[in-house]
Amino acid sequence: MEDKEQEVLEDDDFEMEEISRELVLPGEVLTEDVNNFIPGRGAIFNKERNKITSLCIGLKQIKKKYINVIPLRGFYTPKAGDKVLAVIVDKNPVKYKCDINSKDFGQLKPKNTISQEKGRMGRNTRSYDDVSTEMYKIGDVLIVKILSADRLNKPELTTVGRYLGMKRDGIVISIDPPKIPRVIGRNGSMIKMLKNLTKCNIFVTQNGRIWLKGDNIAYERLLIGAIYKIASEAHTSGLTDRMKEYIENEKKKEEFK
Amino acid sequence: MPLIIKDEYPEKLFREDGKRLDGRKENELRPIKMEVGVIKNADGSAYLEWGNNKIFAAVYGPRDVHPHHLAKPDRGILRVFYRMTTYSVFERKKPAPGRREKEISMVIADCLRPVLFLELYPSTSFEVFIEVMDADGGTRCASTTVAALALADAGIPMRSLVSSVAIGKIDGKIIVDLSGIEDKAGEADLPCAITWFNEEISLLQFDGDMNLKEMNESLDLAKDALKLIHEKQNEALKCKYIEIQKEEEKNSQENDNGGVDLK
Repeated sequence: MEDKEQEVLEDDDFEMEEISRELVLPGEVLTEDVNNFIPGRGAIFNKERNKITSLCIGLKQIKKKYINVIPLRGFYTPKAGDKVLAVIVDKNPVKYKCDINSKDFGQLKPKNTISQEKGRMGRNTRSYDDVSTEMYKIGDVLIVKILSADRLNKPELTTVGRYLGMKRDGIVISIDPPKIPRVIGRNGSMIKMLKNLTKCNIFVTQNGRIWLKGDNIAYERLLIGAIYKIASEAHTSGLTDRMKEYIENEKKKEEFK
Repeated sequence: MPLIIKDEYPEKLFREDGKRLDGRKENELRPIKMEVGVIKNADGSAYLEWGNNKIFAAVYGPRDVHPHHLAKPDRGILRVFYRMTTYSVFERKKPAPGRREKEISMVIADCLRPVLFLELYPSTSFEVFIEVMDADGGTRCASTTVAALALADAGIPMRSLVSSVAIGKIDGKIIVDLSGIEDKAGEADLPCAITWFNEEISLLQFDGDMNLKEMNESLDLAKDALKLIHEKQNEALKCKYIEIQKEEEKNSQENDNGGVDLK
């Protein structure tokens, strides 16, 4: 497996400075100052529009004019452009059915599994007539990109693109999807630290699944433990430093020598 | 010859010292203990001990609707399954869902629906499974309370929590939170639930006889009791996260102190 650099996902949800460590609950009043604030993500006006209340259990965050609530629990909603880890659960001659940890199964059509070779006139030189779903088996783990997703239709997937395709080795673990930004960290700080210290390849996807592979089983185990620790302590501050300390302490143990 | 045990209720439901049979005052609740995240495989779950009631709630969703014809193309549906275990009551309860359980399931679903944004999840279902392990009066109120808690634990967007309590009348006095025996022997029973985002009544059932003045009085009593229950719900939801936060703070302080000591 060639060394793949994890694309740093720009997700500033968990920016340390701006986020307060204030835990809010559904229905809790975030502010009564409706002239200066607008409800952002996870917040809503009440009926009289004189209060802003929270929608879910999470951390309160004030960003310019917006009041957001960063959820601590929740489910994954597919978004076009997301790269996610999918497992093929069913297939027929027309399409694969993939579990992407969301409400609907994703659909992977065979024409989206081979790269399009453009001809001279911009036409496809390859015909899709003979393409069938023989490339992958049921149970294969793929990294796919979501082409389209909305509330009503099933998300459409593709395996054509950078980093995408089948994973033949490694371990897949899954955590709560809202905690994924914390595993990545601010500008990818957490994931860089994990990679450097444990010498493992990691691919973190937005649907809560994490693919990892290391040279040494002890390091893999350490990394899995660290990721679960991050997930359980996602709402605390100074997490990156604490995790660094934790991993360094663990590495002093005998199995790493 | 089957053994027939007659239901025998005490003549007086108040003790000589003016307290109720279990030693409570008129407006006192039974001890309540709540916990969230007790069922690992569920998306959200909660456990409640309310006096002798022991209730589990588990939430799954949003997910596909089975059978598929129940799905609504313009909104999601909320389904509640209230079930009592066979050993939850004195005489063995038949495990098949009966008329009472179906009614309570419907009542709880109607009670919780206003707090959810079902229109954002078309053709999906949210399912709440409520399992009563031990019953001792007021299970529909306790189930509503614990179901709201489990929904919040699942991270489903909600307008607010829902709290519920039963008010009753025994020996001519209005009391809060009826126990099993007070429920059966008392004169009136009034379960009610409130949605906190608009402070409106979401569930109100009535059984027995009361005059209008007593009704108003009991609704006032209910509001005070509901506030207490709401506080406990909030505490239970926060508890899980605050414990970890505190532990971390303690650990980091210890580490800091350790460094100083070494120097």
